[in-house]
Amino acid sequence: MQNDTAIDHDTLREIYRQMSRIHEVDKAIQSGLSSGKFQFTYWPLTGQECIPASIAPLVTNEDHMVTIYRGIHDQVAKGVPLKGLFAEALGRVDGVNKGKGGSPHISDPSSGSMLTTAIVGAGAPIANGLALASKMRGTRAVTIVNFGDGATSIGAIHEAMNLAGVWKLPVIFLCQNNQMGEYTTIPEYTASKDFASRAEGYGFKGAILDGNDPVAFHNGMKSVIDEVRNGNGPVFVEARTIRLGPHAGVGDTNHLSKEDLAAAKEAWPVPRTRALLLEQGICTEEELADIDSAAKAEVQEAVAAALESEVTGEDEMLLDVYADPSVVPRRGQREKRAQEAPHKGETREMAMFEAVQDAQELALQLDDSVFFLGEDIGEPAGGVFKCFKGMQSKWGERIRPTPIAEQAIIGAATGAALVGMRPVAEIMFCDFIGVCMDQITNHAAKQRYMSGAATHVPMTVRTIAGGGIGGFGAQHSQSTEATLLHYPGLKVVYPSTPTEAKGLLLSCIFDDDPCIQFESMMLTYALREEVPVGDYRIPLGVAKVKREGTDISLITYGWQVMHCLQAAEELAKEGISAEVIDLRTLLPLDYDRILSSVEKTGRALVVHAATEFCGLGSEIASTINEELFGKLKAPASRFGAAYAPIAYSKTIETAQIPHAGTIAARVRELLK
Amino acid sequence: MSTLLTIPKLQMSTTEGTLTEWLVEDGAIVEEGQPIYALETDKSVQEIEAPASGRLTQKVPADETYPVGTEIGEITPA
Repeated sequence: MQNDTAIDHDTLREIYRQMSRIHEVDKAIQSGLSSGKFQFTYWPLTGQECIPASIAPLVTNEDHMVTIYRGIHDQVAKGVPLKGLFAEALGRVDGVNKGKGGSPHISDPSSGSMLTTAIVGAGAPIANGLALASKMRGTRAVTIVNFGDGATSIGAIHEAMNLAGVWKLPVIFLCQNNQMGEYTTIPEYTASKDFASRAEGYGFKGAILDGNDPVAFHNGMKSVIDEVRNGNGPVFVEARTIRLGPHAGVGDTNHLSKEDLAAAKEAWPVPRTRALLLEQGICTEEELADIDSAAKAEVQEAVAAALESEVTGEDEMLLDVYADPSVVPRRGQREKRAQEAPHKGETREMAMFEAVQDAQELALQLDDSVFFLGEDIGEPAGGVFKCFKGMQSKWGERIRPTPIAEQAIIGAATGAALVGMRPVAEIMFCDFIGVCMDQITNHAAKQRYMSGAATHVPMTVRTIAGGGIGGFGAQHSQSTEATLLHYPGLKVVYPSTPTEAKGLLLSCIFDDDPCIQFESMMLTYALREEVPVGDYRIPLGVAKVKREGTDISLITYGWQVMHCLQAAEELAKEGISAEVIDLRTLLPLDYDRILSSVEKTGRALVVHAATEFCGLGSEIASTINEELFGKLKAPASRFGAAYAPIAYSKTIETAQIPHAGTIAARVRELLK
Repeated sequence: MSTLLTIPKLQMSTTEGTLTEWLVEDGAIVEEGQPIYALETDKSVQEIEAPASGRLTQKVPADETYPVGTEIGEITPA
């Protein structure tokens, strides 16, 4: 440990005060768990106290932090109120996140602790977004993302480092190397000699610092933070420390030999820093005892208050899934939403890709917080689907071509949205959602709920469904909306016309929840129509009758609307009158218009291009059967793609996805 | 105020624990942080420290397995 000469005495005293607070929190949790008073999973931070304590004097609550489930020490030093922290860990109403996130999901924007993830490595792409927002807004804030050495193996960290390097983001990748990835030692999971040198491969600086030495670490971080604050791009810091506890639980780790554990405890920064302050005559024993007892009293008071707080009740269950609780689908609920007013103003003929570009241009004009990111969206490409033609030279850094890295894209959008930007990400094909599934479903979708609405994610994702044309193969042709509908927190729209693509996209961009717009490749160039000019929006959750009928309701969306309309035309020749309802938004789902139509026709078939098995059609059909059982002339049914990957052969693809001919055939069967 | 001792849930997978040994006598005065009993859960034995100082009352015998939450003792201010 370095001696005191290299640090201001007040700073060192303050660092020790933070260490003491962290240590008292750790002790209180371990004692509560050991006695059986608390029951929650704890991932002890013991041994790592020095790292956030030494950083605390260098940052303010304007600087953002992202950490992980083990990061209670990071939360304490960042300034998360202890009462709210304990109440959160205990699942109580006075928790910083209403007891809905728990200790592994703390978000406290008032202190700058923006997001805590329990998915190893997933915080780094999101930290990029926080840093990007600071950079675009021209603030001098830095973002520090904490993760363990174990996280350095996962792809999210690599995608994030690469993006931060190329965009020179004001972010610090703080690897708290505690020598252990959960239960596995470093030599068992990597051949790398250290972690910091990886940064060089991504074009920025890596530094190894002694995370157990408050003087050396504070001084090292001071120059790192200054450098990043001054706009010199990211830095990767490997803070060497040692975890004294187990991965989860209480007490000592059993991964170290008796001798190694004794040596590690000898190097433990809490008592060592205390001793240093005494030895150097910076504090008297009495002053140190005062610091410790103040920390203990603060913690005791917080624990007592947390235990007084009520356990968060069932009334909170469906709140904070979305900003508006009526969006949550509930059995028997028929939310009535007003249809858009008919457009009377100017129109211009556009294909869907042009209507999307028109909406994007408008969004940029309307709101400075809107920006776009995605693969190949810069010039000269202007996006693989040509929705960004000429936009980069016009809008500059608000049009951001990215590396081919979907986790980095969605993470950056999520992080920027957390601090009030309205990012719009293009994920080229909806099959690629799988590559960034964790960022979309575990982070963007769940963040409002996990944070008890302390934060939310107003981002939009646009993605193309490539099916129905033939020749794109199994990995560029599936319609993947059903997987996303299974994750509460997302809104999903699937327009079938250029006008609706524009109107829904604008509503998504200015919605306060994460929205995903599916656009069909089959429609994007082929279909042209007159599209309203200017700020034209279609409210989310409002279906539209595209053809009126009396014998059966065809409930559909996306490019299947066209097939259903063709089928209805064919059926009309046989005297069968089919009503076609275009859902337009899949969540919130317009059950009122669906049920009203089926009440009239007495029959229903839900049609979609997605796999029939476990698709949205099954959900809608069973709801119709439950709600309208006595009024139906035949059981409501569903029709989707056959249960196989989409084939390359056009003959197979045509046969496996519903089309006008097969839809009409199903209708005839239902009318028998 | 006395502190109740119950079988703790130290791991996500823990449902029960074996109190393998009381490390102090019934009625002894214990200091906060002093190991007071050994607990075996999920095949690992851990010494559990006193969450408070005071007089320890044992309420159940050692060498038995109890479900998480079972009251096993109490520490009352001495």
